[in-house]
Amino acid sequence: MKNTKTELRFFSVPEWKKEETYLREQHKNGWKFVKVSGFCVYHFEKCVPEDVIYQLDYNQNGIAHKEEYVKMFNDCGWEYLQDYVGYSYFRKAASEMDGVEEIFCDDASRLDMMKRVFKGRLIPLLAIFFLIIIPQMIQQSLIDTPFSRGLMILFCIMFVVYLGMFISFAIPYWKYYKSVHKE
Amino acid sequence: MDNHIKKVYVPMTETGFYILLCLREESHGYGIVKKTELLTNGEIKISPGTLYGSLSKMEKDGLIKYIKEEDKRKIYCITELGTEVLELEMKRIERLYKNMVEAK
Repeated sequence: MKNTKTELRFFSVPEWKKEETYLREQHKNGWKFVKVSGFCVYHFEKCVPEDVIYQLDYNQNGIAHKEEYVKMFNDCGWEYLQDYVGYSYFRKAASEMDGVEEIFCDDASRLDMMKRVFKGRLIPLLAIFFLIIIPQMIQQSLIDTPFSRGLMILFCIMFVVYLGMFISFAIPYWKYYKSVHKE
Repeated sequence: MDNHIKKVYVPMTETGFYILLCLREESHGYGIVKKTELLTNGEIKISPGTLYGSLSKMEKDGLIKYIKEEDKRKIYCITELGTEVLELEMKRIERLYKNMVEAK
């Protein structure tokens, strides 16, 4: 029987919560996360099934001051795993927690993390959306050849995918924003 | 104190309040976590992501200052501006508490 496995999984920019759940489920099923590398390739090794909480932070300042950043998480019982496209991965066994523990304990800091993700990851996507996808859709709609229709379909698909990504970012952002600015 | 500081920190989060309260004495991040737990009978457990973000932000805004590093842990202390903010917040909470007691 194989003791390791790899899985190809794609999580878009705003889907780190889904990724955390995915890693937790794998560990519960006896597959301990080893690393993610290349293009979304997740490596696991066989382990005793356990409930382990996985958490992702996005903090470029932290990555720049790695030692003290990781030390603070270690002090609080979180094991640091790796960085991947700007996200830092941490885990802690549920048995070591009293109640539910996360790496963020209030909505203000959850909102701050989303702001960092927005600056680091979302602005480039918005630039592609407004500077390439939308202008291309307009341009292709003015030409009537089979090739341009093909391109039109391609850009329409990208339009929908990007829009979906922005909406799934905006919903939790708005939720935290309202919770922080309710006064 | 400029308006930006007031807007961001008054009122402040519970975590922010305990960070400033603890940093009236020099401490590192984990020291703040432990002391806050002690002060709140374990009810408030500051998480590392929240703590790291808050300390970076407060240092940038001049509410706390970096003193030295010990065993990979950065030690901070509150500044004059930080003390001003903390006092403003204490006054707000005192007022809140007074009104709460009166309303009871």
